[in-house]
Amino acid sequence: MKKRHIIVFLASVFLMTGVTLTHAYEVGEAHNGGTIHGQVTFSGNPPGPLRFTVEKNPEICGQERSLLKVETHNGFLTGAVVVLEGVKKGKPFPMQALRGNLPGEGEFRYQGGNSLGLQVKTKGCNFGPFTGVIAADEAVRFQNQDMIKHVLHSFVSKDTKGRILRTVHNQDLSPRDEIDRVFPSDKMKDGVVVRIICNRHDFMQNWLYVVDNPYFAISDQEGRFTIDEIQPGTYTLLVRHPVLGEQRQEVTIEARGDLQVGFQFVNE
Amino acid sequence: MKTRGIRYLLFGLLMGSYGLVCFLPPAEGAVLDGLMGGVEESLGKRAEEKGERLIIGNFYQAERPDSHAPIGVMQDHTHNKGEFMFTYRYMYMYMDKMRNGTDNLSINDVLSPSRENFAVTPKNMTTQMHMFSAMYGLNDTVTLMAMLPYVMKEMEHQNRAGANFTTHSSGFGDTKLAALWRLYAFETPSIGAHRFHLNTGVSLPTGDINPTDNTPLGNNSLLPYPMRLGSGTVDLLPGLTYTGVRNDVSWGFQALGTVRIGYNQQGYKEGNRYQVNSWGAYRWAKWISTSARLNWQQWYNIKREDGQLQTTVGASQTPLVPTAYPKLQGGQRLDLMGGVNILFPEFRGLENHLNVEAGAPIYQYLDGPQLRQAWSFWVGWQIVM
Repeated sequence: MKKRHIIVFLASVFLMTGVTLTHAYEVGEAHNGGTIHGQVTFSGNPPGPLRFTVEKNPEICGQERSLLKVETHNGFLTGAVVVLEGVKKGKPFPMQALRGNLPGEGEFRYQGGNSLGLQVKTKGCNFGPFTGVIAADEAVRFQNQDMIKHVLHSFVSKDTKGRILRTVHNQDLSPRDEIDRVFPSDKMKDGVVVRIICNRHDFMQNWLYVVDNPYFAISDQEGRFTIDEIQPGTYTLLVRHPVLGEQRQEVTIEARGDLQVGFQFVNE
Repeated sequence: MKTRGIRYLLFGLLMGSYGLVCFLPPAEGAVLDGLMGGVEESLGKRAEEKGERLIIGNFYQAERPDSHAPIGVMQDHTHNKGEFMFTYRYMYMYMDKMRNGTDNLSINDVLSPSRENFAVTPKNMTTQMHMFSAMYGLNDTVTLMAMLPYVMKEMEHQNRAGANFTTHSSGFGDTKLAALWRLYAFETPSIGAHRFHLNTGVSLPTGDINPTDNTPLGNNSLLPYPMRLGSGTVDLLPGLTYTGVRNDVSWGFQALGTVRIGYNQQGYKEGNRYQVNSWGAYRWAKWISTSARLNWQQWYNIKREDGQLQTTVGASQTPLVPTAYPKLQGGQRLDLMGGVNILFPEFRGLENHLNVEAGAPIYQYLDGPQLRQAWSFWVGWQIVM
C-alpha cells in the first residue's frame, strides 16, 4: 500500500508540474525594458483578392465579397504577425482593438491584462482583420452582431502549410449571440495557427497565430510594428504571414535601448 | 447468462453515456479526436500528394437537400453546438395478406382446420404515425434527441363464418430519448467528407399495451400484440452511423438495435429488433436530391405471454387468431425505398426541408401466419434553427 501511495504522489507531482509548465508566462514588473521598432517590406507581385459571389444573406453580407490575403501598400506588408519567442515573464498583455481592410465591421479586440482576452466581434459578415493572434487555454468571446446566423468552424494546424487541419469547434452563432469558447492546449497539440471560417459564408476566413506571451505586434498599413518593455537579453524575433511564410532574426535588447529591425518578403 | 451479460453491458454503456453527458465539463470535440494518429498521418500523406489539406473533426452539415438522410432514417446526423432541429414525420404503412416463411397464405389457408386452423384471420392492417421530434447540439460532442409518436392502427379481420370486423387502437407510443456521440470525421476535396457517430438511446414505455376495442368476442376486448402502441418495457437503442458526402453524391450506413430490458406489466416482452440502413442520394440541384435506400430488419418473437389475452375459442380450444400468439411475431424483411429531399430557401433564418420516401419489401420471411408488409410511405418536415 505504501508503495502505491508513493507512486500516486509522484504521479500527482509530475502532473501538477506539467500543468504548471504549460502556463509558463508570468506577468510581473518590467523595468528598464528595451523596444523593437521594425518594418516589414514586400517586393514582387502580391496575389490579388479572392472574389466571392454571396449566396447566403446578401442583404446583410452584400452581393459580392472579396478576401485580400496579402495586403501591401507601396511595398510595405500589412498584417504580418511579429512575435518575440520564448519570453516567460514581463509586461501585461496589451489592450487593443484591430480592424482590417475587409468589407464589414468585424473587430478583434484584445482585452489584455493577465491574459490575451481575445474578443471576436462579428459584424457585416466579417469576423475581423484577416490576421490576428490567439492564446491557448483561455476563453475567446465570439459576438455575432449580425441579425443572421453564422457557423463558426475553427481549426488548428501545425504550420501555415500544414496538411492536417484539426477542428477545434463547430459552433452555431445565432443572431446577436455571444459565447465563450476555450481553445484547449491538449486539443491544439503542437498547432501554431488557428483558422476560423464561417461554414455558411465562405468568404469569412481569418488566420490567428498562437501566442504565449504579450510580446507580439501586427504590422500596420506601412508595415511598421513596435514591441516594447522587453527585458534586456537575446531573443528570437519571428515574423509570420499566412501566405508568405515566416522569417526569424536573432535580436539583442539592451536596457532602455531602441532596436531597429527589418524583414522583407519576396513573391517571385 | 450470455444474453444477460450483453444486456447489462449495454445498460452500463447507456448509463455511462448519460453520466458523461450530465457530469463531465463541456466536451470539446469528437470522442476519437487525437486517438487516430496513424490514420491521420496516412490520410494526410495522401492528401499532400494531391496538393490537398485534410480536415479532421468537422461535423458541419452543409445546407443541402441531402444533408439529412432519407426521412425514414432517424438519428442520422449530429448538430453543431447550440443548433436546434424540429421534425414532424408522418408514416403510413399498409400490410395485406398472410404469410408464413416466404409463402403467402390465403384466408382459407389460415382458417381451414386442415391447415393453420385459426378461428379468425387478419386480412389487412394500416399503421399511421405522427412523429414529433427535436434534436439539439448540446456541445461539440453530443447531440440530444427526443421523439414522441402518435400512433393509429386499424386491422381488418374475417372469421370462419365469413364475417368481417375491424379493430382500432390509437394514442401516444413509446417516447425515445437519445444521445448521439460524435466519434470521428475527416475530409479532403478528393475523397469527400466522412463522419461517424455513436447512437445511444432509451425508449420509455409511454405507449398503451392494454388497448381495447369491440370484437365478436365482446365489447372492450383486449387487442393482440400487433395492435399495441408500445412495448411496455424500457428499451435500449444502441447504434452506429456513418455518413459521407462528395460533390453531388452522399451516402450513409446505419446499424440500430432495440434491446428490451425486463418484462412489462402484462408479463411479456417483445423480441429485440435490429435494423441496418444503407442509402445513397444524388443532388440534382441546390434544392433537390433523390435517394435510394435498403433497410434490413430482423425482429424476434415475444417472450412469455400476456396472460389476459384470449388465445383460443370454444370447447375445442380452437386457436383464436395468429396475432395473439407470441411465437408468431418474429421475422425479417428487406425494404427498398426511394425518396426525394427538398431544401427550401431560408426563411427568417430557418432552414426548411421537405422529405418524402416510399417503398416496399423485396424480401420478407415471417414466423407466421403473419400479415406481410405491402408498402410504406413517409413524409417529413424538418426545421433547423
